[in-house]
Amino acid sequence: MTAAEQRPALPDGLRDRVLGASLRARAAGRPEPAAPEITPEEAFSRAVDALYGMLGVLQEEDWGRLALRGLDVQGLVGHLTGVEEDMHRALAGDQQMAHASHVGSTQAAADRQAGRQPAQTRAEWRRAAGRTLDLVRAAGDTDAEVAVHGMRLPLGTLLVIRAFELWIHDNDIRQAAGLPPSVPDPSTLSLMTQAAARLLPQAVARSGLSEPASVHLILTGPGGGTWDIPIGHGPAAAEVAIVTDAVDFCRLVANRVTPDHLSLHITGDPDRAATVLTAAATLALD
Amino acid sequence: MLATPSRVDDLVLVRSAAGYCPVAGNRASVREVGDADALVAARLAAGDHTALAEVFDRLAPAVYSGALRVLGHDAAAQDVVQDVFVELWRHPGRYDPDAGPLRAYLIMQAGHRAIDLIRGELRRAARQERSGRLEPGQPDPSPDERVMASETAATVRAAIEKLPESQRRIIELAYFRGLTCREAAQAAGIPEGTAKSRLRLALAKLETALDRQLLESS
Repeated sequence: MTAAEQRPALPDGLRDRVLGASLRARAAGRPEPAAPEITPEEAFSRAVDALYGMLGVLQEEDWGRLALRGLDVQGLVGHLTGVEEDMHRALAGDQQMAHASHVGSTQAAADRQAGRQPAQTRAEWRRAAGRTLDLVRAAGDTDAEVAVHGMRLPLGTLLVIRAFELWIHDNDIRQAAGLPPSVPDPSTLSLMTQAAARLLPQAVARSGLSEPASVHLILTGPGGGTWDIPIGHGPAAAEVAIVTDAVDFCRLVANRVTPDHLSLHITGDPDRAATVLTAAATLALD
Repeated sequence: MLATPSRVDDLVLVRSAAGYCPVAGNRASVREVGDADALVAARLAAGDHTALAEVFDRLAPAVYSGALRVLGHDAAAQDVVQDVFVELWRHPGRYDPDAGPLRAYLIMQAGHRAIDLIRGELRRAARQERSGRLEPGQPDPSPDERVMASETAATVRAAIEKLPESQRRIIELAYFRGLTCREAAQAAGIPEGTAKSRLRLALAKLETALDRQLLESS
């Protein structure tokens, strides 16, 4: 007889009583400690400040290092200036921005940085980001949809994705310059993980996963949380639980790492989990 | 925290990953993380209620049987189990996987909670004894209360008997005769500071003895 078998059985109802009392004390899904809530505008503003600060410590020679898609650091910052300029037009109601290419539409802004002083490039981008914040504050309603670069999203969600983009490019530049990677503060990260979880069903639908499924997504660490995400339509044929680090998951949905680089704990069909994670990377929230 | 599919349906996101950076293959491989207790702690902190249910199923029998062994009373042991698991869920960060296994942490928490209950019981018994002397007409305790009181008292009495005479004496004066620390010091013929230090030492030993009993019983 094992030690476990020698123990008295738990009294009837104790399990339900304890789990019920626990969930009354703290709701399921809520991280502990919970990050202080901030607005999407604040998240974007913090990402702008972080990138601006990082650019300020770059050495002259860092600006010429290759960063992404054939762009050097200066060109990448120029690309971001172009994104802000397209945001300004979208916020002004320019419908042409709805289907403008994220890369093609901003190429001219990237190209015009050639031969400029890095400080000029940095200042131009900062002014453009500041103008975006001014227009957002003037717009007021962050639930109103804005269409830009193939996305049609509530302004609040769009600002979170923009914060995502700035953080990812901040790290692209850090990598190019040999600086250590950065992690968003928990409040910003919390908005990012929420946005990624909300967009996951779309990404999975695009990837062609046909059977309805339920994804129990657990993102650990500051800014994390737990979500039950229905995939597809109709009763879920299967349930899969995926546990991974919140920051790593954000790097995945920005398409900066592949699923096989994540520390994962999977419950359920591993093939289905792999399909979901691969689809998450196609969100490319950068 | 539930994703809201109706809201997601309203969103349109068509930006493609193509052209951004090397894209993962069609089928990703996945690798798993180790250290079960660290993983559980991280899941609890993330608000994963299924992790709590898993921990309960795995460790509640040990916590319950340990609490039952010390307290000798089923209802009190169940209360201890509830307190320990609710506390784990409310403050998962208080468990440090680097400091030891989750099992030992929960059993230790149960021990502390059981000690708190016993202390409360001792104070209640002392109050009853004093008020009983003053008010003999008070209603008798229920059979359940009698059983709990006698079983708890027996457990604690056995632990007290193992204390050195000087410490046992101060515990009896302070808890069973309900004297203040100053009164207990006077009754024992020692300075108040000495009485306080003996009381602290005695309670610490009592806790250690009862904790050990709790751990051994599980």
